[in-house]
Amino acid sequence: MSNPFSINGGAVVAMVGKDCVAIACDLRLGMQALTVSNDFPKIFNYGDVYLGLTGLATDVTTVSEMFRYKVNMYRLREERDIEPETMANLVSSSLYEKRFGPYFVSPVIAGINPHSQKPFVCGFDSIGCIDFAKDFIVSGTASDQLFGTCESLWEPDMEPEDLFETISQAMLNSVDRDALSGWGAHVYVITKDKVVKRLLKGRQD
Amino acid sequence: MRGVTVLKEEDDKTRTLNPHTLMAFSGEAGDTVQFAEYIQANVQLYGMRNNSKWQLSPSAVASFVRRELAKSLRSRKPYYVNLLIGGFDTNTNEPHLYWLDYLAASARTPYSAHGYAQYYCLSILDKHHNPNITLEEGQKLLRMCHEELVKRLPIDYKGLLVKVIRADGITELEL
Amino acid sequence: MDDLIAKYSTPQDDFFDEDENSVHFQSTKPSLDLKFSLPPISQPTAFLRAATDDHANPECPIKIAHGTTTLAFRFQGGIIVATDSRATAGSWIASQTVKKVIEINDKMLGTMAGGAADCQYWLNYLGIECRLHELRHKRRISVAAASKILSNLVYSYKGMGLSMGTMMAGVTALEGPALYYIDSDGTRLSGNLFCVGSGQTFAYGVLDREYDYNLSVEDALALGSRSILAATHRDAYSGGSINLYHVKEEGWTKHGFTDTNPVFWKTKLEKGEFSNVATDF
Repeated sequence: MSNPFSINGGAVVAMVGKDCVAIACDLRLGMQALTVSNDFPKIFNYGDVYLGLTGLATDVTTVSEMFRYKVNMYRLREERDIEPETMANLVSSSLYEKRFGPYFVSPVIAGINPHSQKPFVCGFDSIGCIDFAKDFIVSGTASDQLFGTCESLWEPDMEPEDLFETISQAMLNSVDRDALSGWGAHVYVITKDKVVKRLLKGRQD
Repeated sequence: MRGVTVLKEEDDKTRTLNPHTLMAFSGEAGDTVQFAEYIQANVQLYGMRNNSKWQLSPSAVASFVRRELAKSLRSRKPYYVNLLIGGFDTNTNEPHLYWLDYLAASARTPYSAHGYAQYYCLSILDKHHNPNITLEEGQKLLRMCHEELVKRLPIDYKGLLVKVIRADGITELEL
Repeated sequence: MDDLIAKYSTPQDDFFDEDENSVHFQSTKPSLDLKFSLPPISQPTAFLRAATDDHANPECPIKIAHGTTTLAFRFQGGIIVATDSRATAGSWIASQTVKKVIEINDKMLGTMAGGAADCQYWLNYLGIECRLHELRHKRRISVAAASKILSNLVYSYKGMGLSMGTMMAGVTALEGPALYYIDSDGTRLSGNLFCVGSGQTFAYGVLDREYDYNLSVEDALALGSRSILAATHRDAYSGGSINLYHVKEEGWTKHGFTDTNPVFWKTKLEKGEFSNVATDF
């Protein structure tokens, strides 16, 4: 249990639908077996881009704050919001900068490109290798379970309502089989002109 | 404590950071006080520079402390300190409590503990706490936790030091 | 006949004791000359530890089901026994519906914490011994005697990697309501109140504060259930359902195998407890 990726626990999943994307995270912050907080969301918003971070809690916070700084600087320089694809490269290069002393996080990006209106999701390992996907991305201590639920529940071209149901079921059923994540979840469903954020009432054991 | 000897029975393991923020600490001997007083000095410096009317809010203090601890974590010799930061936000009239461990994981919580106390007291607080308790009820809750620790812990930790943070400042309290 | 058997059976592998099967039929009591087959190496216990002890070696290949909260306490109306129902192998939740209360006979219960297989096997074995005692002596075994059989048994395997923390609760004419704690170190204690498992401290916290020997039956059942709920909430390795029993003079009665989820939300919303759990943004 001294693996930094599984000290605090946590799970994130992102999915692509028809002209929409969804991203969800659990709310647990633990110290090994002990649950310390049930209100530790792992999804952070940067304009059009949503970033989910699982792994060591201290790095989740540090990395989210670092990108808040970098994205704000980008916005000031470029006088426009960052696009999901650009963000993916920013995340990748920022993580690789710490190649020999990495942040212990597994980031996930979800968003809709404001110009092409194309949904975009991708994931990373802790040193910045990008994993582009056209269906879904999972990360965290429940990632094995999430792969299982997503592989069986996901289908192409889901409408926002179906996508919400799918990602919620995938998330809740996965964390119910993982001791280190769960205790409630946040879900964001992102369409081109609207973002709906919901709190899922998960099992509290 | 040093080895098997109790060196002092009434050691104050808290530092006042600004008039409405208090930090309690535990962890490695030496690291704790060094880190706490470094933080105390810097938060007080902020107060002096910005006309003592403008003090950092509890959330800002917690954010600053977390940052310093996170920087230390990836240094040659990290501080091994666990913290609880309590504060009263005089702008919003809201009480704040932050839990930070030595890895600089931080969470805002309604009630917290560190060390073995977490394992015995959190379940008691889960049952008996609610956000609207009065000071007297709060004291009663602390007494419950204290009694449980005395009953189940194999060490005598020589009692509790209780401090209250209110709109008019920080005061010590007899339990 | 022997020729036929010889013709169709494969030669015995010398990995195993040659009389492994025959020993099984001779006695129900495991003779201490190792009924269990051991790996053919010089230090079987060290090998077992390396392969199964995830405290010593988190990457161990065999994860034994672990993690539990169990409690039992004596009060004026008998004994309350309550457990959670989760089994974990590492962080994987292997089951949410484990029966951690073992019904030894209609007057005696045992609880399971530690290695699931160890507890299940040896408490089942104990059930057999208790029944044999009844047949041999024409009266029911006392809880003291039954717990002693178990503690002597696990003690004889000390150092070989058994992992169990168990409580035995029962009522006999001789002793009245009796409660014992037995673990694989060989500890055997009688007492009024025990909590065992990874979530024990959380259960103690709630239980100690409101425990009273003169509790009514209804309050005692509620307190047992609430203490398990507290532990399932804070301990990642406890959860699932609350398994609740009441042991009385006439024997034990079961008070449900209740999913914690509805119980939790009912407790939170109706009593205002668990204020740390957010219900809105």
